[in-house]
Amino acid sequence: MLPLALATLALALFAAPAGASVFGPRAGHSPNADDIRTAYWVAIIVGAILIVAVHAFLIAAVVRFRARRGRSARRFTAGARAFVRPVVPLVAVVVGLFVFGIVMMTKARDVQATGSEGLGADSSLLAQVGGLSIPPDSKALNINVVGQRWLWRFEYPGGRPGDRTFSYGQLTVPVDTTVLLHISSTDVTHRWFIPALGGQVDAIPGQDTTTWFSADRVGTYGGQSTSFSGTGYAVMRAWVHVVTPEQYQAFLKRKRAGLARAQADVVKALGESSATESGP
Amino acid sequence: MSQTAAPRPEVVTETPPRRRSGWIERTTNADHKSVGTLYIGASLAFLVAALAELVVIRTQLIVPENTTTDPEIFNRIVSTFAVTGVILFAIPLALGLISYLSPLQVGSRGVAFPRLNLLSFWLFVSGGFVIFGSFLWRPSEAGFAAFPPLSEPLYSNTHGVDAWIVGTFLAVLGFVCFAVNLVVTLRTMRAPGMAWRRVPIFTWAANLCGYLLLICGPVMLAALTMLFIDRNFNGVFFDPGYQGAPLLYEHLAWFFFTGMFTFVVVFAAGVISDVLSAFARKPVFSQRAAMACLLAIAIMGPLAWMRNMYTAPIPTSFLVFAMLFAIALTIPIGLLIFNWIATLWGGALRTRAAALYALAAISALTIGLAGDLAWSLIPVGWQVLNTTAAQGATFAVMVGGAVLGGFAALHYWLPKMTGRRAGEGMGKAALVPILLGLYAYAAMSVLAGVKGQPVDIYKFFAGEGLDGYNLVASIGAFVLVVGVLIELGNLAYSYHRGVPSGHDPWEAGTLEWFATSPPPLHNFDVVPDVRSAEPLYDIRRAVRDREHSWRPPTPAEPEVREPEPEPEPVGPGDSGTAQGGAPVA
Repeated sequence: MLPLALATLALALFAAPAGASVFGPRAGHSPNADDIRTAYWVAIIVGAILIVAVHAFLIAAVVRFRARRGRSARRFTAGARAFVRPVVPLVAVVVGLFVFGIVMMTKARDVQATGSEGLGADSSLLAQVGGLSIPPDSKALNINVVGQRWLWRFEYPGGRPGDRTFSYGQLTVPVDTTVLLHISSTDVTHRWFIPALGGQVDAIPGQDTTTWFSADRVGTYGGQSTSFSGTGYAVMRAWVHVVTPEQYQAFLKRKRAGLARAQADVVKALGESSATESGP
Repeated sequence: MSQTAAPRPEVVTETPPRRRSGWIERTTNADHKSVGTLYIGASLAFLVAALAELVVIRTQLIVPENTTTDPEIFNRIVSTFAVTGVILFAIPLALGLISYLSPLQVGSRGVAFPRLNLLSFWLFVSGGFVIFGSFLWRPSEAGFAAFPPLSEPLYSNTHGVDAWIVGTFLAVLGFVCFAVNLVVTLRTMRAPGMAWRRVPIFTWAANLCGYLLLICGPVMLAALTMLFIDRNFNGVFFDPGYQGAPLLYEHLAWFFFTGMFTFVVVFAAGVISDVLSAFARKPVFSQRAAMACLLAIAIMGPLAWMRNMYTAPIPTSFLVFAMLFAIALTIPIGLLIFNWIATLWGGALRTRAAALYALAAISALTIGLAGDLAWSLIPVGWQVLNTTAAQGATFAVMVGGAVLGGFAALHYWLPKMTGRRAGEGMGKAALVPILLGLYAYAAMSVLAGVKGQPVDIYKFFAGEGLDGYNLVASIGAFVLVVGVLIELGNLAYSYHRGVPSGHDPWEAGTLEWFATSPPPLHNFDVVPDVRSAEPLYDIRRAVRDREHSWRPPTPAEPEVREPEPEPEPVGPGDSGTAQGGAPVA
């Protein structure tokens, strides 16, 4: 009885508009995240239907065919032909889900071109990477994401290699702009996951993985690593600040200036300390 | 029914006198029933350990940003929990039941390699001791499967990971030894007429479980060996700095763990099939279909190992391959469930505790496997893998298969092992909290997981909408633990003090009930001829027919009295318990 009641409750909750926020992921803000949510809802509803169907039949069988006085079991068995009828819907479910899964996977990996509100200027061209299919002549913002225990480091495009603008923990990107993330790790395996901006991708030392997103709205989206990495694993969080292109440019300028200033300070301090060391 | 069959050589023995003291006999007796009892006892002890770990984990996660448990302690518990639950509890419990019952079910007087069987138990137990012994110093903190590079010496420079590797290695090595004995026994030592198509489904599942261990076990042994060489002998198998491949270990470990997940499903399906058939008083709806479904599950299950690795840099075609098998598993699993429902249909189900546990196991397995089906779509997997959503579905399958399926089996077969029934009322009472707790825990884990809560974090943060889910999940876990403990107490009490059950309490159709309860050392005095999938049903009918057709001998010809011919193995019902067989109907 209980599973049936739970299932009915579940269905009722599904029907209610509020159900979506209880049973599903939070709203996505990137085309690939939206595709993942579509796939999620189809899969979870198919699963729920299977659960309800099995429990309905199971409960019916138990209620109808409990041992009672004067009832004896009809001892019958069946051959293969009895399985034709149940196998048809199962095969349909399997084929349907399989094809649907491939379609949604391909869709989620289809990188979409930067939109009209996005950053058009100093972005670099990119070839086919990591299973993503990228539209020809598309401009994308390439960000290096480096996982390290227990922080994320983000390197922004522009500047000489090894002397890039970077930030820790918080990534700032322009809205409506295709962002390609090149994910790697310097120590153990981590996993990049911002639920609102697409699925999880491993950050494996010695290997580069790629994912993308294109945030549709200004805002801050959080997430955290989902690969166990030791003591500080639970606090290895990341935030993506989505801002307007103008704010992004301002951010970069400010960041560069701040880094240059910090570097100058370091050089100065080093110079002073080496001067004192080499003194008489 | 030919009365002229040549008399079969017959062994009539009493239990041989014990020459050794109790504990030595207990620990070194290589009889498959004794080994099975040891396995069951040890696995249930490790179940208590797993429950304790679950309580620690869920106490820590009951409120956001909890500081009850130190992160390092929490990580040690997390690093042991999966091994305790799967390798030290679920698999050995299944192996204990298999060791005890499968030879009986196929009408064998023993097993092929009894000492290998005993060795396997001691390997497994020493593995468990090594893992828990490391708690005296410093256990592994490298996560549930010790994935490198985290488990490489650079990041785990204590010997906890070594203890974890050695313990897991010993246990898995034991399982492989067990599987060798099991597969050979079932291939070569079945009773006359016990063709594969007549083997009880539990034993068919046991056979498949044996092959699963033979195939998946060595893979894990290889992975652990490489990791051990990496850690202690400057190996670079998994060291990315030297072009090693951490991903390789993930593949090997996931192949093993996915195989063991399949193992639990197959084992539980075997138990459920036997129990439902016995309590509905019907043969399994289609024996061959059930066997074919189990075979398909056992083949496709491990092949879908990459379903756990959708987020890793693996070529798309391989991921699609994994998704194909993961989704296609729905067909054999669905047909198996259909088979169970059809077995109930038209029957007269006696709702004893064993049957209720079997039904509950179907429910939990259905919920968990439907969840796994949903997660096996690649894009869905990107969202929910490595979150508590995936963990919740897996938990439902493991608890449904190993705990509920295991309790169904113990309720059903405890009379065989001890001659005593497990307490019915207490068993049914314990089922309620187990099931409620499991549903609550699994559902809340799934809901928290789809919101993005990762597995194995030692704390979650307030203000992310996860508080309620985790609170209810923790309460559900506690309720589940209470239920399991009640049932364990019930089983422990019934083991010595349960209501005597007689030799054949359920009137099932399979051959283990042909022996006495508990069976003698050699199982059967007479190895019966098997003519159908329900040999004991045939035997009972033959006995009944003979009783009905029996007439007092006419006094006209008393002098031609022959020595009573050894009847064909109709069982002891007509020749009395002197043969050591169970008195039948």
